[in-house]
Amino acid sequence: MILWFKKFFLRNGIVLSLYMLLMTFTWIVVMFVLPQVFMFDFSFRFNWTQIDPSKIGGPEDVYTLQHYKFLLFGSPNNPDPFNVVDVTVFGRTILAAVFVTLFDVILCYPVAYYLAQVAKGGITRLMMLSLIIPFWINELLRAFAFRILFGEEGTINNVLLYLGILDQPIDYVRENIALYAGLGYAYILLMIFPIYNAVESLDRNQIEAARDLGSPWWRIHWRVVIPFAKPGITSGCTMVFMLSAGALALPQIIGGPSSLWFTQIIYQWFNTGSNWPRGSAYAMSLLVICVIFVLLIMKVFKVKFGEIGR
Amino acid sequence: MNSASILKFFISFYIVLFFAYLFGPLIVMSITAFNSAGFPRLSPWDCFSTEWFGVLVNDARMMAGFKNSLIIGISVVLVSVPIGLAGALLLAQLSNRVRQVYYTLTISTILVPGVVLGISTLIFWDRMGMMFDVDYESFFYDGIFLTIIGQSTFISAYTMLVFMSRLQRFDPVLEEAALDLGATNVQTFRKILLPFLKPAIGSAAVLAFLASFENYNTTVFTIVSESTLTTVLASKVRYGINPSISALAVIIITLTLCGAFVHEILKRREQAKELALKKEEKTVSVKSASRGLLSNPVPMMVLLIFVAGLTTAWMARGYDVQQCKIEVSEEKRKHQAELSKIRRVEMEKKLEAQKTDTASPSTVTTKKAAPGTNQYGNIFAPTNLEGQVESEETNPVTKKNTENQYQNIFAPTNLEGQIKSENE
Repeated sequence: MILWFKKFFLRNGIVLSLYMLLMTFTWIVVMFVLPQVFMFDFSFRFNWTQIDPSKIGGPEDVYTLQHYKFLLFGSPNNPDPFNVVDVTVFGRTILAAVFVTLFDVILCYPVAYYLAQVAKGGITRLMMLSLIIPFWINELLRAFAFRILFGEEGTINNVLLYLGILDQPIDYVRENIALYAGLGYAYILLMIFPIYNAVESLDRNQIEAARDLGSPWWRIHWRVVIPFAKPGITSGCTMVFMLSAGALALPQIIGGPSSLWFTQIIYQWFNTGSNWPRGSAYAMSLLVICVIFVLLIMKVFKVKFGEIGR
Repeated sequence: MNSASILKFFISFYIVLFFAYLFGPLIVMSITAFNSAGFPRLSPWDCFSTEWFGVLVNDARMMAGFKNSLIIGISVVLVSVPIGLAGALLLAQLSNRVRQVYYTLTISTILVPGVVLGISTLIFWDRMGMMFDVDYESFFYDGIFLTIIGQSTFISAYTMLVFMSRLQRFDPVLEEAALDLGATNVQTFRKILLPFLKPAIGSAAVLAFLASFENYNTTVFTIVSESTLTTVLASKVRYGINPSISALAVIIITLTLCGAFVHEILKRREQAKELALKKEEKTVSVKSASRGLLSNPVPMMVLLIFVAGLTTAWMARGYDVQQCKIEVSEEKRKHQAELSKIRRVEMEKKLEAQKTDTASPSTVTTKKAAPGTNQYGNIFAPTNLEGQVESEETNPVTKKNTENQYQNIFAPTNLEGQIKSENE
């Protein structure tokens, strides 16, 4: 360790070494790890700021599991065996995020393959650029666009009514179709690029060989392209899953009135609920469950964490 | 037609559909900005108008949020670009095992939900403030400071990825040569590495700014009592929407297109330069310059949009929004009148039919009415058309008979009265 530092300082000089080390230390430790640790700690504390601020740091400021208990079982006089509202919302959020992820894989794989293996020079460039442009538009504005499209008197309903396909408007927001379409839309880029990067490095000769040996197109994909692109697909899935499970703006704006997103409950504890420790306990639970879920999936598909994001 | 070409057709069709999904919402939203209707919609189309841009500019809250967003965006660039650069440089020098852990940590900043990042930043600085016992005026509780820190946490990872991909193409021999020739480390860094990284610094800065500008999940927690453009937008979109938000979208989309255009040109120029340097052929740069606009689809696209904008502006020269609005409302009224006219005619027809029906005992109403006296027929009497209440009061039989009154509710005369009042 010391030897490494010596070598490092010798190679880069004092100024650059200090610059690199200080910057990354500030970033990783002060800005990222420590806040997570503090949040973890905070989630085990009583909500003294609201009850009695003078007790902070006093003898009664001890650790408690009450917020995690609340998430699982609700308030003490809750007649149900567990906290029905929060637990179902949690489960539904995870399920919906999985659904959005699958939707994005199916939607993006053909496009990524086309970009990487079929399209040529100029067209690839143009398509890449047109993929990135919607990603640069504000997330809220995209949500707004979906609200215009999917409103009860929105464009899609009007077109379908005009064409005579529907005889009465569908409430897409209530049916959550708007939300899923919006979430899927928001993370297309994060799915396409990893898959594209993986498929692009595939040697075309392998595909040719499979074709020459008489394999139909779907088997070429199933046996050659997809196994090769697995790290890319998994890393895309990880990002889309994590981001859609943690999405807040889209569920707030185009989510149905009957279906909360778990992040919305966290938001409520922080804003209207004024119970920060409980909010952080909820946030912590979301983080931990999501990470466990992702690690499990990676284990199943035998992909390493280090391969993500490349 | 063989199966291969069918497949090809399907693929092209799919690609077209995909891009329709990608751009459809944005296009529809942009168009709604020019509809004078109070609700953002494509149809029914009222008038072409640019009034919503005026509404947007006069929105004080939005403008204040915009100013904060700008400040935060620029600060995030200033924080996250140096951090990302340091992170990428350090990564290249780590041993394999440490690098895995380090890389995992940096990527986690992107993967951790933005909500969690925002909350943890908020709590961390709150606790720190308590620890150092600072008052609420200090920067520990300042929304803008917290937002800059919170956003930089994951945006630094973005910039690091940008620098990493550029550094992969860096030839370390250059650095060694400079060091051998007696340059200090700092000199080498400034004269060799930084110029090489210049394009990456540019793209990292743009990326960081955009990511900061559009962020909501982290910002909504760290901003505390201040507001940014996105938080203002969110509260606006949640409680009642109007097309001024579409107008904002139009502005942002236009800026994005321009940005993409400039980026593309710069990239091309740089590539041409590199190519020319590599092959040392003057013809290459001349060729790419002469091919110019037509070979590049992006400027063509922007040009087309520009031309379209100009033509609409030209067409709109002799166009008066107020006039159009009046016309539209006039048209609506006419339409309404026509509709009610049709309805009235239909009603009258029904009335006629029912009148004749009262004579015959075949219909349900008359069957019900049959046991009583012929006063039941009064329901449909022409006097009722004029004023129901009056006729009820003047007709003692109807007053007595409750059943009859209920039947009155469903009588066509009621509707008739309604239409009349609508017409007035």
